[in-house]
Amino acid sequence: MRRNSLRARVTTFYVGMLAVALLVFSAAVYFGVKAFLTKSLEQMLSNSAHNIVNDYLVPLDQKGEPWLVAEMSESYPPGTNDPFVRVSRGPRVLYQSGDMRDPFVSMSKIPLPSDQKWFNNFHRETAASGQQIVLYTLPYNAPNGSVIFVETGAAFEPIRHVLRSLLLILLLTTPTILVVAAIGGYLLMSRPLRPVVVLTEQAERVGRKELGERLPIIPTGDELERLSLALNRMIDRLEAALAHNHRFSADASHELRTPLTIIRGELESLIQLPLPTTVMEGIGSALEESNRMAKIVHSLMTISRLDCGGEQIELVPVDLVEIVSVTLEHMSLLAEEKHISLRFEAQRHAYVTGDPMRLKQIVVNLVDNAIKYTPEEGSVSVFVRAEEEKAVIIVADTGIGIPAAALPLVFDRFYRTDQARSRESGGIGLGLSIVKAICGVHGGAASVESIEGRGATFRVELPLLSSTLMEVEQLRSATYIGQASNQTFSGAQK
Amino acid sequence: MRILVIEDEQKVSALIKRGLISERYAVDVAADGIDGLELAEAYPYDLMILDLMIPRLTGAEVLQRVRRKNAFLPVLVLTARDSIDDKVKLFELGADDYLTKPFAFAELLMRVKALLRRGPVNRSSTLRVGELELDRLTQQVRRAGKRIDLTAKEYALLEYFMQNEERVLSRNMIIEHVWDQSFDGITNIVDVYVRHLRSKVDDGNLFKMIRTVRGTGYTIRSGNET
Repeated sequence: MRRNSLRARVTTFYVGMLAVALLVFSAAVYFGVKAFLTKSLEQMLSNSAHNIVNDYLVPLDQKGEPWLVAEMSESYPPGTNDPFVRVSRGPRVLYQSGDMRDPFVSMSKIPLPSDQKWFNNFHRETAASGQQIVLYTLPYNAPNGSVIFVETGAAFEPIRHVLRSLLLILLLTTPTILVVAAIGGYLLMSRPLRPVVVLTEQAERVGRKELGERLPIIPTGDELERLSLALNRMIDRLEAALAHNHRFSADASHELRTPLTIIRGELESLIQLPLPTTVMEGIGSALEESNRMAKIVHSLMTISRLDCGGEQIELVPVDLVEIVSVTLEHMSLLAEEKHISLRFEAQRHAYVTGDPMRLKQIVVNLVDNAIKYTPEEGSVSVFVRAEEEKAVIIVADTGIGIPAAALPLVFDRFYRTDQARSRESGGIGLGLSIVKAICGVHGGAASVESIEGRGATFRVELPLLSSTLMEVEQLRSATYIGQASNQTFSGAQK
Repeated sequence: MRILVIEDEQKVSALIKRGLISERYAVDVAADGIDGLELAEAYPYDLMILDLMIPRLTGAEVLQRVRRKNAFLPVLVLTARDSIDDKVKLFELGADDYLTKPFAFAELLMRVKALLRRGPVNRSSTLRVGELELDRLTQQVRRAGKRIDLTAKEYALLEYFMQNEERVLSRNMIIEHVWDQSFDGITNIVDVYVRHLRSKVDDGNLFKMIRTVRGTGYTIRSGNET
C-alpha cells in the first residue's frame, strides 16, 4: 500500500514538473513563432518598399510615369496575392497592384496614407471583409519637392493560420505526452522501487527469528546500495548490543545464583542441627527470603531474555480457550479459598501461535493477581474472545482497583500500587512485567482499565490465527514432524 | 557409591560434598575442567555432578569428552542459566538430568538417588506411608482403612509426597511435578493445595502426617518411629 503511494507520489510530482515544463515550452514556441513570422513579414514588406523606392522612384524623373507603371506591373503584377503594392503622390495613385484574392481584400477601400505617424512605419488595417492586413508606408521625397508614398502590404491571415495550427498541435500533444509520461513513469517506478520492496521484505524477516540474517546488498552504487549497507551496519550494532545484553544476562544470572546456592545450602544444613526455636525461626525466615530472591532473579532474567529477544520461544498453533480453561481449573482452589467466584466465558476456539507454557503463564499471573487484590466474596471473570484479527483474554475482578495515576505504571518492573499490601500477599512485583514481556514476544499487547475501589480489567491481545480447527490440526502435525517443518509452518502462516 | 563433583565455586562444592557424605556417599571434588576430566578417567565413578561454568574446560566440553569414553556414567548438570535452548543442548550433549541454581539440597539428593537407581521410581500399584494407603489402580486413598476423597490435583500431590516419604519437597519441586513451570511465579498455590490435602488427610487424627518445613517446603512422615 505504502509502496504504491510513494510510487504515485513520485509519478505525480514528475508529471506535474513535466506539465509545467511543457507549458513553458509551448508558450515559448507559440510566441516565438508568432514574433518570428510577424518580424519576417514586416521585413519583407519594408524590403519591398525600399526596393521600389530605389528601383523605380529614384529614376522616375528621368524615365517618366508610364515607365514606372510598365515596370511595376511587370514586377508587381496586379491581382497576385502578396504583397500588395501602391505608389501614390498626394491623392493620386501612380500604381497599385490589384485586390488580394485569398483572402479577398479590396484594396481600393484602403485609405491613402494620411496619418503622419504611419510614415516609415507599420500599421494594421482591417479590410472590409474583416481581414487584417499589415501595411508599411514609406514616404519618398522626390527631387522636385513632391512626396511620393510607397505602401506595401500583406494579409496577416497566413500567419494567423500557422499560429492556429501550431496552437492546436500543442494543445493536442501536451496532454498526450503527459498521459504517456504518467503511465510510463508509474510503470518505470516499479523498477527502482523493486529493491526497496526486497529490502522491506527482508527487513521484516530479520529479527523475527534472529538477527543472523542480513539485508541484500543492492550493487547499484546508488543511494539504495548505501541504504542497504547502512541498514546492515545498524543490524550489526543491534546484534552486538543484543549479544552484549544476552551475555550480561547470563553472567548476572550466574553471579547471582551462585551465592544464592551457597546461602541456601548453608541454611539448609544449619536447619538439620538441634537448635533453639528462635534460631530455627531466624534460619527459616532467611531461607524463605533466599527463595524469594531466587524467584526475583529468575523472573528478572526471564523478562530481560524475553525483552531482548534472547529467549527462543516455541511457536506452535494452540487453542487459547483450552489453555485458559485448563489453567483456571488448576487455580480454582485459590479462588475458593477466598470465597471468590471464578467465572469463565469463551467462544468455542481461539487459535493463536505461541508457546503454550508462556501463554499459560500470562493466565496464571493475571488470575493470581486478580484473586490477590479481590477481597473475599468478590468475583473474578475471565473471557476469551476472537475480535477481528485478535484473540483477546480479559481478566476482570471486583477488587480494590488501581488509582488512575498508577495505571500506566502497573506493567513496570517492581511497581506496586500499595507497597505494604502487595508485599504481604507475597508478590515480587514482576508478574505483570512478565505478562507484558510474553505478550511482546508473541506480537501482542497487554493493557489495563480500572476504577479505583470497583475493580480492574486486564486485557491481553494476541494475533489471532485465522484458521479452522482442521487446518490447525494439520499445521500442528506438520510442526511436529521435524525441524524442516518449522519453516513450512512459518511459510504457511503467511 | 562414589560421586565426582566438578564445581569451581569452593563453597558450593563443599556444601554438596558435606551433604552427600552425610548420606554415606564417597565424594571427590575437582575445581576445574581438566582436573575433573583426569579424575573421571582415573576412577570408576558411579555419578558425576558437573557445573557448566568452570575454568579451563567448559562443562559442555568435559561432558562431551567423558561421554566419548564412558557412555553410561550418569551425569547431573548444574547450571546457572535456565533458558530452554540451553537445556535442550545439554541433553543432546549427554546429560542425564540438570538442576538450576539455586537448588534445595533435598532436590539435588533426590535427583542423585534417582540417577543412581537408574530405574523407575517405585511403580508398585500400592503406596504405603504408615497407616496411609494409596492404590494407583483404583486411585483410592485410605487412612487406617477409612476412605478419603481427593480431587485430581490433591491425589497427584499426595502421590508425589508418598513416593518421597520422609523427604523434604520444596515448593518448586512440587510445582514442577504436580503443576508445571508456568505456575512458577505463584508458589502459594502449593500452600493452598497442601492445606486442603492436609485437612482431608490429617483432620481428626492425632498424628499429623503432612508437615511444613519452614523455608524449604513440605514432607510426609509415617509416624512409625515416634
